[in-house]
Amino acid sequence: MEGPADILPSTLKKSVVDAKLLLVGAGGIGCEVLKNLVLSGFKNIEVIDLDTIDVSNLNRQFLFQRQHVGKSKAKVACEAALGFNPSVTLKAHHDSVMSQEYGVNFFKGFTLVLNALDNRAARNHVNRMCLAAQVPLVESGTAGYLGQVTVIKRGVTECYECQPKPAQKTFPGCTIRNTPSEPIHCIVWAKHLFNQLFGEADPDEDVSPDTADPELTGDAAGSAALSEPAREDGNVERVSTRGWAAQNDYEPRKLFRKLFNDDIRYLLTMDKLWQKRRPPTPLDWDTLPDAVADSSSSSTADSSLSDQRLWPPAECAAVLERAVGRLKDQLAARPAGDHLVWDKDDENGMDFVAACANLRAHCFGIRLNTRFTIKSMAGNIIPAIATTNAIIAAMVVFEAFKLLEGRLDDCKTVYLNRQPNARKRLLVPCVLEKPNPKCYVCAEKPEVTVRLDVSQMKLQALEERVLKAALNMVAPDAELLDGRGTILISSEEGETAANAPRTLAELGVRDGARLRCDDFLQNYELIVNIVNSTELPDGQEFEVVGDASQLQPAAPARADGEAGPSSADAGGSAAANGSGNGAGKATTTVEDDDDLVCLSEGEDGTGTDGEVPTATTTTVGTPASKRPAQSDQGTPPAKKRRALSGSESPEVIEL
Amino acid sequence: MSASPASNPKSPDISEKNKKYDRQLRLWGDHGQAALESASVCLINATATGTETLKSLVLAGLGSFTIVDGKIATAEDIGNNFFLPSDCAGESRGRSACRLLLELNPDVRGQHVEQPLERLLDTEPDRLQAFSVVVATELTDSCLSRLSEVLWSHNVPLLVARSYGLVGSIRLQVREHLVVESHPDPDSVVADLRLLQPFPALAAFCDSQQLEAMDRAAHGHTPFLVLLYKALQRWRDEHDGAPPSGYREKKQFKETLQQFRLRTADGVPELEENFDEAERAVNTLLTPPSVPEAVRTLFASQQCNSLTAKSDDFWVLVKALHEYVENEGEGLLPVRGPIPDMFSDSDRYIQLQNIYREEARRGADQVQRRVHLLLESLGRPSDVITEEQVRHFCRNTHALRVFEGTAVQQELRHLRLPANEMAAHLQNPESEMVIYAMLRAAERFRSEYSTAPGAEDDQVETDVIKLKACLSRLLSDWGCQNTIKDDYVQEFCRYGGSELHTVAALIGGCAAHEVIKLVTGQYAPIDNTFIYNGISSSSAVFRL
Repeated sequence: MEGPADILPSTLKKSVVDAKLLLVGAGGIGCEVLKNLVLSGFKNIEVIDLDTIDVSNLNRQFLFQRQHVGKSKAKVACEAALGFNPSVTLKAHHDSVMSQEYGVNFFKGFTLVLNALDNRAARNHVNRMCLAAQVPLVESGTAGYLGQVTVIKRGVTECYECQPKPAQKTFPGCTIRNTPSEPIHCIVWAKHLFNQLFGEADPDEDVSPDTADPELTGDAAGSAALSEPAREDGNVERVSTRGWAAQNDYEPRKLFRKLFNDDIRYLLTMDKLWQKRRPPTPLDWDTLPDAVADSSSSSTADSSLSDQRLWPPAECAAVLERAVGRLKDQLAARPAGDHLVWDKDDENGMDFVAACANLRAHCFGIRLNTRFTIKSMAGNIIPAIATTNAIIAAMVVFEAFKLLEGRLDDCKTVYLNRQPNARKRLLVPCVLEKPNPKCYVCAEKPEVTVRLDVSQMKLQALEERVLKAALNMVAPDAELLDGRGTILISSEEGETAANAPRTLAELGVRDGARLRCDDFLQNYELIVNIVNSTELPDGQEFEVVGDASQLQPAAPARADGEAGPSSADAGGSAAANGSGNGAGKATTTVEDDDDLVCLSEGEDGTGTDGEVPTATTTTVGTPASKRPAQSDQGTPPAKKRRALSGSESPEVIEL
Repeated sequence: MSASPASNPKSPDISEKNKKYDRQLRLWGDHGQAALESASVCLINATATGTETLKSLVLAGLGSFTIVDGKIATAEDIGNNFFLPSDCAGESRGRSACRLLLELNPDVRGQHVEQPLERLLDTEPDRLQAFSVVVATELTDSCLSRLSEVLWSHNVPLLVARSYGLVGSIRLQVREHLVVESHPDPDSVVADLRLLQPFPALAAFCDSQQLEAMDRAAHGHTPFLVLLYKALQRWRDEHDGAPPSGYREKKQFKETLQQFRLRTADGVPELEENFDEAERAVNTLLTPPSVPEAVRTLFASQQCNSLTAKSDDFWVLVKALHEYVENEGEGLLPVRGPIPDMFSDSDRYIQLQNIYREEARRGADQVQRRVHLLLESLGRPSDVITEEQVRHFCRNTHALRVFEGTAVQQELRHLRLPANEMAAHLQNPESEMVIYAMLRAAERFRSEYSTAPGAEDDQVETDVIKLKACLSRLLSDWGCQNTIKDDYVQEFCRYGGSELHTVAALIGGCAAHEVIKLVTGQYAPIDNTFIYNGISSSSAVFRL
């Protein structure tokens, strides 16, 4: 083959041939990057992606075709690229990059790592692995027409976690179970219901009325004793929802009666809830309206597509009946004890959620939505097209070239705008920022402050929700710095299991306590400062704040839609860390999809442990808050910039 | 129906195709997809830049493409073009690329014409009329000039895509491009809900709402539009009928609004979210409605005021809209219809939705009547513009845009920009105009020497001198001094005219983006030249 890299400078040409690259994600951006690498003369590439190919990938992930649906993305992508250029050494891993197999030594084996992911958890993880292994990372993301590329190098640039990310929207459990007021509340409830009936049941996803609603006690601030709904006395049914459904053979009308009539009647008995709210109306299968209240249905009124037509309640019930029947059969076809996994692209699962969400909305006088819209919200779908991915993937390779030439100083964060900005730039390069000295990930001695109620939080919750979910550790150890070195959590199976159900207070953790938390896989040690607080808003269980000096009343997660905290003043001395996504036990986290604040190609990643395509942020008007790299040399360094922000994969909802 | 709900539920009918295109339907909608599926694109020359452009269009479900290419694939072509298989050397480049591109999407049709563009232009230039867009790569200036002339005369958009070493460019030639859905930045669109000039149905609904008579739940769930209406009435009573204007008055107006809040026995205002929403909307919704500047320009345009039987439907619609505004509309565009989400019980929200929708329909019907009359006077059948077209147009009156382009042929002949403006660009070492000048000089070199500068390793030194001479002559034609650093000349000779795959991929992605904008009639296209500089990772758009 003729040297495709002929016009590269000769020093770069050699680096390209010698480099060993890791490409994390073989989705929208990943496919494009892989093609560009192979055609640029790279000889040694490993690709990792745990996802399999879906039909909805085919509009842009061009290495895949119809006959590949269901197969490993990493493997098919490598086969396709090898078919084009057999002289390249490609290795595919159909696996999660967060698995223990890929430790710091694995990462150290690469010259560069290129991220083409679609979710924040995996981005955070790869960020830490690259920091630990001292390997430069090119990070990228797209959403619709928007895209972004940046470079991360330990000690020189900001890391992926230096700036707080836009908070995720969270909903208190009692809003979901008792007092929904927006369509999203009903959709979250419907996804929980799916898992209760067919999926992996999670006690935090109960769908029945919650009698432990703090409002019911008259103490609306939520007394400490009630902030954690006790399962035994908090629920109407002691039998699990799944058990109840199985006893009744998943008879759709019985299910309907329980969910949309009996449970609603029960809610009505909690009259305190309805003093200032419109009370819900129990539904009756036989008298459901078969026309939509607003005659001409949705805004896409003329669409003949049934998923863009608004289903009247009676049709929702019919769709529910059919979907339940099919899902029951699907479940029965599995080995005993196995369960279904909800997927927005699975027709029956999606029908079920759309129908249930609308029926619940109908009970509560909330407006109904089309299946198409519900799919967007439930699946957290981020639009994705081939053109944007092509542009961003090319930028990824250009940044890789510069790194290989040792031109880190010339590397940029580049944003792709939807239309040329006021300065007539479609691609806007910005100077890479210096590391945030208070970053709780890449600082020399990282520390973070967490507000929580030590008398309420159990150690298990600290591990699962604070250390793993919020602080993104994979297998943490935790030691209380009390002078005695008490081990609270050990990543060795069973060593500290006895501690799990005990509260932090019982284990000697008090206000001002310091915990040394360590993740062996990520080679990451973090001091967690505990601030005791009994007054966290909205049923939140804890809140991550940067450092104690930043402590202030917890801000509600809703940051007026825009990039929120990510536009924090990075030049200031004390940028707060922590995304404030302190999702507590009783809350449900959903990515805010109001507008395309966050970029994330990929939308097809399966699960938060996924790797697929990418992400980062940008709002439609990005450049205003950024710092253009060119022509602005004379101006003082602008302080405001936008942080990378991993929007979560669509499935982040994790319901 | 009472026995059972919808006893025979329709299958959701989520077709394979809708699944495949789901992620893009969410950007340009079914109608955008339909436009794409009925579009046909012609690619001149299956270079890497060309096939990368087609790739993104084929994946998205373009109707059909035609590749015009008389060349035989060389090893160099194969080395940087993903759509040329390694065993196709010596075969037709167009045929090989066509075959692999078609593998990407079974819904797309594609063919190739195995002859150079020059011959097509000699023998059957009219064949090019049939395309929605022509994408051209790898053309000499003289051939490009001819193509430009033919397409300009037929009003077929032309996109010239070029990647050259580490730089690239896209030039869009479109005589007139009419956009109904320009998707303006939502923040820049002033919501027009007619609160200051309520139409009768809106006034009647708001008047029927008796806030004093409501219980707490109903009060707290009253749509904020009603609250603003009530507060506005009170304000006007106290201010001789004038609405609040300016920052200070709007601030005072918020206090008027507060008077409507429920209070506890101790006089403390109750928490009512709908009032919070109303307050937030004061600054935006209480702006007097008006016809946007861009739309007034359309009303004044010559195309609107001298309709002929051949006028584009768009201009007939604009004319009808103008007449509506002058008459029934009483100076305003028709109400668009959709209302924002708000805190409300669903009954009243849906009532409000219907009131606005009904008003929007009334406006659209009136526009439609005027469309019919205009078509009649033009001697055209009255049904050539459908009701759906009129509705769609009326929903987007705030976003109407017209782009008038310039011809590439003209650009090649003389500089549109004033010489001093161009000189200022060229003296700025960071201006992408330098790249433009270098690309033009390299093309001039190719025209004169029939090869790219630096293409032969042993000629690089002499080519540097020749290219510099080409550049100097070009700049002197423009009336500019040669202020461009020799480094650029060296760098361009080093490229030897090659396409670097990654640049081709980037330019191809951008070019496909523009084609999609053109064929869907959505979003504003580039006006009219995009320059990418891979040396500095920067880009710029110029009108040339």
